[in-house]
Amino acid sequence: MLVAAVKTGFIKAIKTAFMLLKIVLPIYALVVIFRYSPGMALLQDLFSPAMKLFNLPGDAIIPIITGFFTDEYGTIAVLSQLNLTAAQITTVAMIVLVAHSVPVEAAIAQKVGLNFVKFTTLRLVMAILIGLLIGWMGVLLSW
Amino acid sequence: MVEMIQPILKEILFGSIGITFSFLKVLIPLMIMIEILMAYNLVEKLADKLKFLSGALRMEKQSLFPLLIGVVMGLTYGAGTLIEINDKTPIPKKDFVLIGTFLFICHGIIETTLLFGVAGANIWVISLGRLVFAFIITFIAARLPVIARMGKETL
Repeated sequence: MLVAAVKTGFIKAIKTAFMLLKIVLPIYALVVIFRYSPGMALLQDLFSPAMKLFNLPGDAIIPIITGFFTDEYGTIAVLSQLNLTAAQITTVAMIVLVAHSVPVEAAIAQKVGLNFVKFTTLRLVMAILIGLLIGWMGVLLSW
Repeated sequence: MVEMIQPILKEILFGSIGITFSFLKVLIPLMIMIEILMAYNLVEKLADKLKFLSGALRMEKQSLFPLLIGVVMGLTYGAGTLIEINDKTPIPKKDFVLIGTFLFICHGIIETTLLFGVAGANIWVISLGRLVFAFIITFIAARLPVIARMGKETL
């Protein structure tokens, strides 16, 4: 039973990685191109004040928005292109882990009988709260 | 023009392949762990041991199992188990809302801890921190009049 479990798990992992490559490649490409464009500086300026509340630099908005519409793997693909500290990565991780794949997961929530709009609003509010909390705790406790 | 495009293409290609390899570092242990958990019904046994928590969250004892599946293995597994159990023995609507509340803050804990651990985040904050946060929010939610009023009616 153990051998079978390990084998099935291994095959599933390889299959999932190939599936992910199809999503990650375009996201990665878009972000690389965006980083070389003037839009990057603009975005940074635009979001610096808001991101400062979370003790994050302006460009941290990119992995957050990516995670919102795709999933955690998309966020990682973007994070790997930015220069963030461990504490900042932790803050981004906590925000994205609460609010990711929002369209897909809201559909799942509806399927088990929860209200689509309420569920999504609650998630966003929680993501912001936890982001503020972890952002400031990261500075105070410097993890 | 070509001199400009070439390094960008290289960065895209090597970058995304590199990332996919680091995903494998997460996916291989993750998928193997999930298969082992399922093969030996380990989550069910854990749910049995943690039954006392259902009181604190004001849930039925049977609701703890789908909740734990979602927390440990992920949202799709959790939702699947929830629907399956609900077909056999209906779960109260209140429990659905409470399980939803807990899971939207914290699900797929093995996967996300491995994934963001490899990316350089603090794994204690993103695993234990999220569990504690989800527990507190659900604990409060269970005591809100709006949810407490739902009683034991099923969907």
